Amino acid sequence: MSRANAGALVAIAAAAAIPVVFRGSDYLLNLCVLAGAYSIAVMGLGILLGYAGQMSLGQAAFFGIGAYASGWLTTQAGWNFWEAVPAAMALSALVGLCVGYPCLRLSGHYLALATIGFGIITQLVLVNWKAFTNGSDGMSGIPAPAIGAYTIDSYGAYFYIVLACVSAGAYVSSRIKATRPGRAMQAIRENELAASAMGIDATRYKILAFVLAGAYAGLGGALLAHSIKFISPDSYSFDASVVFLVMLIIGGASSVGGAIVGAALLTFLPEVLRPLKNSYIMVYGAAVIAMIIFMPQGLAGLLQAVIARFSPPPDPGSETIAARPSAQRS
Amino acid sequence: MHFDSIANLQLLINGFAIGSIYALVALGFVLIYNAVGVVNFAQGDFVMLPSYVAISFLAPSVAVFGVQMHWQLPPLAVYLLVIVLMTGFALLFNRIAYYPLRDRGWMPVVISTIGVSIFLRNFAQLTWGSQPLSFPSPFTADTIDFGGLHVRPQDLLIIAVTATLIMFQYVLFEKTSLGKQMQATAQDRTTARLLGIRVGRIVAFTFVYSVLLGTISGLLVAPVFTVTKEMGGLIALKAFAASIVGGFGNIPGAIIGGLTIGVVETFGGFYISSAYTDAIAFVILIAVLLVRPQGLFGERVAEKA
Amino acid sequence: MSGAPVLLDVRGLVKSFGGVHAVSDLALSVCAGEIHALIGPNGSGKTTTLNVISGIYRADAGSIRFDGRELCGMPPHAIAAAGVARTFQNIRLFAGLSVRENVMIGRHPRTSANVVTAVFSGRATAREERETRERAEELLAFVGLPRAAGAPARSLPYGDQRRVEIARALATEPRLLLLDEPAAGMNPAETDDLIGLVGRIRERGITLLLIEHDMNVVMTVSDRITVLNFGTQIAAGAPSEIARDREVIAAYLGGSIDAA
Repeated sequence: MSRANAGALVAIAAAAAIPVVFRGSDYLLNLCVLAGAYSIAVMGLGILLGYAGQMSLGQAAFFGIGAYASGWLTTQAGWNFWEAVPAAMALSALVGLCVGYPCLRLSGHYLALATIGFGIITQLVLVNWKAFTNGSDGMSGIPAPAIGAYTIDSYGAYFYIVLACVSAGAYVSSRIKATRPGRAMQAIRENELAASAMGIDATRYKILAFVLAGAYAGLGGALLAHSIKFISPDSYSFDASVVFLVMLIIGGASSVGGAIVGAALLTFLPEVLRPLKNSYIMVYGAAVIAMIIFMPQGLAGLLQAVIARFSPPPDPGSETIAARPSAQRS
Repeated sequence: MHFDSIANLQLLINGFAIGSIYALVALGFVLIYNAVGVVNFAQGDFVMLPSYVAISFLAPSVAVFGVQMHWQLPPLAVYLLVIVLMTGFALLFNRIAYYPLRDRGWMPVVISTIGVSIFLRNFAQLTWGSQPLSFPSPFTADTIDFGGLHVRPQDLLIIAVTATLIMFQYVLFEKTSLGKQMQATAQDRTTARLLGIRVGRIVAFTFVYSVLLGTISGLLVAPVFTVTKEMGGLIALKAFAASIVGGFGNIPGAIIGGLTIGVVETFGGFYISSAYTDAIAFVILIAVLLVRPQGLFGERVAEKA
Repeated sequence: MSGAPVLLDVRGLVKSFGGVHAVSDLALSVCAGEIHALIGPNGSGKTTTLNVISGIYRADAGSIRFDGRELCGMPPHAIAAAGVARTFQNIRLFAGLSVRENVMIGRHPRTSANVVTAVFSGRATAREERETRERAEELLAFVGLPRAAGAPARSLPYGDQRRVEIARALATEPRLLLLDEPAAGMNPAETDDLIGLVGRIRERGITLLLIEHDMNVVMTVSDRITVLNFGTQIAAGAPSEIARDREVIAAYLGGSIDAA
């Protein structure tokens, strides 16, 4: 088993211990659920932005669509959690398709702005489509999941559902990265023209990335909705999309583990520093700037650099050819 | 709903006024983009910050860092002070958020400007609190009457100042050496450098100029709305949309795009739906991106293979 | 080359950009198994022709038949899948990825894993991965970079980056390889290596069409040459014929070709 896979299993096992360790504190467990739901959305953004290089600042809109879809299906249409959440995820994926397709010809700033526009329009719809969403008053009474007669009401138990989803999402994302589709997306990010000259249908992969980002965010949003049981449109703003972006950057844009770490860090840090709230707030923005200047690969990149430093020297097979005088070329 | 020409004229003036604000902010975007190839996501906060600073010196009573201030300085002195402070701030912004990243492509710089935006908003909240503040209007009257037509003097001021600035900018760009250097730098930095143009300085000047456009917008628009840490955000996004509608990188395009969005938004908000007013700018934007991504005046740019 | 079938048959090709007629009524034919050079003064339309053949630009008029198939109107990725690969004048590597990954990406049109199979068919996908990786390393050895696989692509010197680009194109298993100024920026030793590499590629049964300014390379390596000027063909034939062709000499401003 590779080192990365072993590390992942250890992390999952450690996470599984959380509800036991934090048994007494609903507050902490709720934060863990929050971090988990966010990390799913951030992993989705990691596929779209980290792998495929498509600058999307509308991830919060998919998050909200997932939340409201699942909320509505369970409160108004009589569906249960296990039916509603996958349906919400599918709806978000479909919206991802609808957004991704027109955005195909756009790149860079144009794409970023189109996704911002999509996000703002979505939020306005959530606020104003009162019949469906109850507007700014929010949607309440979103039920907890139930298995037969037993309702999964505690944060601790719900956390396991979230953990399962985070693990599944992480597995899918890392499988993508390690195989042909992930390489295709990264090729598009690095040089789209060359990628198509190498047989990669950029259109198809960009749309795929949007669909996946939508699906992941929709899942995260739905999971969160059933945990906190009340949602309102304020949470699904452009600022929230920016937070997802920052979580991804800090964790490491093309790293699955980074997405999770970034989400967890930026969920817990505000709470941990709450006593120092005023100073923390100032540091947050400065930290983003410092990060992008000095650690553009995020924490994941930092970890990789540390590991590389302390690992045994790489075998001659991977030595940089630049170090050798060209006369010795075989 | 009847098409009352007086009402329409008032809407038109309102539309031009808010459109002028969008135009000024859009101009700021376009100038920085032309100079360094990056969109400044903090542009809106350069509208917000000077408003707060101005209030600190203008208002009868305002809390800064929890301490009540009653400076109440004369408005012209305050405006000058704010301009000086924002100039210094622009130079700082250039040095810290742009300069270290200037060779790293556009995405790191975009993220850096997002960081600046977060920093500024939180700084504003920390310094002035979360309550919306009201900006003392330079005018005593709420409206001026031109036979039946009620016009806000602030709207007229906005339009007048914007028109003046646009003329000033035209003269600067077309008739002065500095303006020519800015144009040269924007078109081809390497060649500009080879011609002896101090590119670093021109870039810094562009940042300052752009920030000052935002500053003036802020001072103009603050009396119309209340001042909050969020006020810059939506204005900037719409201005960004406006610059794309006009043709990204195109200066007259930015102005026309801003005015267009301001007018359409105002009329749309009145005749169609006030709840979705904010969406109008983005619907226009998305329509433009789908149909004619190069905007009204832009040129199609193909990638060189 | 007598007897060899025509693999690439370009007729009447037209491509304009606004008022600039980059390519007008171009004819070009490349026989299977040959090394064919496309030469001409700057601005004669060589790279544009390559770009149209590879699908990056859409021709305004004309036909490009590759092994009987019409390539005009096909998107670049389909043309690559059909067996036409290329390198670029300004090297376009995937700079942030490793050298190995760059070449592995070249194998994209010959492999088939997608998101679903990557997640659910672990074993089949793992086998495909292994094959792709082995093939990439074999190609890197073939182009003379056996030990560069793990390095970041951007860390390689310029000449080596070119080789990686060639290896990446070869990974698509092309029948026709288009090389856009492969010798650009190379010193004489590297150029000799390149000439050897081009020969070895031909031995693998791949037809080559290359744009090149270095006349030493062109004369040494080519079986046939097509000369362009002002977007159209002015001469085509064996190197010795071209070197003596008056029109060609005139196009190059009166200098004789073998004085390059």
